[in-house]
Amino acid sequence: MSKLTIGTFSSLVGSLSLDFAVKLSEAAVKKGHTVDFWMSGNATMMAKKGQKAFKDYSFLAKTIQELIATGQFKITACEACAEARGYHKEDCPDGMIRKSMDWYLASTFDADRVLHIGGD
Amino acid sequence: MKLAVLMSDYRAGTDILERLSAEKLGIILVGNGVYHAAVKEGGKTSSLLDKQAVFYALTEDFETRGITSENLDSRVKAVNYGDLVDLIFNDYEKIIWL
Amino acid sequence: MATKKLAFVVRSLPYKTEASRLALTHAIASQTVEIYLNDGDLVEASISYIGDGVLNCLKGQQGGKHYGITTIEGHAKNTLLLDMRVLVCKEDLDKFGLTADNILMDAEDIGGETNANIVSYSEIQKEMETATHLLFC
Repeated sequence: MSKLTIGTFSSLVGSLSLDFAVKLSEAAVKKGHTVDFWMSGNATMMAKKGQKAFKDYSFLAKTIQELIATGQFKITACEACAEARGYHKEDCPDGMIRKSMDWYLASTFDADRVLHIGGD
Repeated sequence: MKLAVLMSDYRAGTDILERLSAEKLGIILVGNGVYHAAVKEGGKTSSLLDKQAVFYALTEDFETRGITSENLDSRVKAVNYGDLVDLIFNDYEKIIWL
Repeated sequence: MATKKLAFVVRSLPYKTEASRLALTHAIASQTVEIYLNDGDLVEASISYIGDGVLNCLKGQQGGKHYGITTIEGHAKNTLLLDMRVLVCKEDLDKFGLTADNILMDAEDIGGETNANIVSYSEIQKEMETATHLLFC
């Protein structure tokens, strides 16, 4: 099977583009592919524990945890982007890591496909 | 190159799309891009559909917006997320988001 | 040993969103990517500005003065200092009535030796065709 690297800057809740990236990841993992998911810019909002589910707003936290549990999905937040927004290491949900931007570039090295969603 | 363009906007990005060329070009309408597949303005379909490409629209996104597959322009094929994964890995080498 | 080429294509306007800023900072991160890779493997980034994206290249940006942030111009200068291949679409500059005099072309004042290249769109198309992956911002 193949590897998809997704890099996204889209906001959590405020933009359904982030939901798109997560649903695409789900579909890829279901088909046996692996996914590296890089969150930068506003997408680092997803690297904060304690998100609540409301009917009016998309809720991705549960899906993310289910994807992490498959072992085929790695999710990483840009440390600088997260810190700039007040999200610290202790705020990071289980299974998510924080790295600098070179992690994403390294992920693309052995990716079969790269999808970069560069903005809301 | 075999290029898939995920077109997520209705008003923006068409200028960029117009100039892209590829040996095989797929335009996959997602997000607000699905309106290109179904909406007519002044009785005219979107000029984006006149481009030489294979067109798809994401079912989950057009149904979210109250569009049905019956509303889609005949040039556009409905695909779901699973189909999209297959297109990305099997039909195209590079993918971009507009 | 392999080199993978990433073509960052900047088409967004600067400042209102961080899309173009993050394109440049991510491209610059290609300089330290070797820590994750096997010896001899590389990721090489290039940057092309097209459409409205050419306006990222205007000289004299004052983001620092008014918003306390580093300018896109500053990041663009760093990409030249790091000898990255930078392409600016001539047709789009012409559309905005801009020339090399209006945009950042070099990083000489900080010791850079590489210049930006004003090229026709067809050159940027070729850059996209030879890249391993495309990152539109």
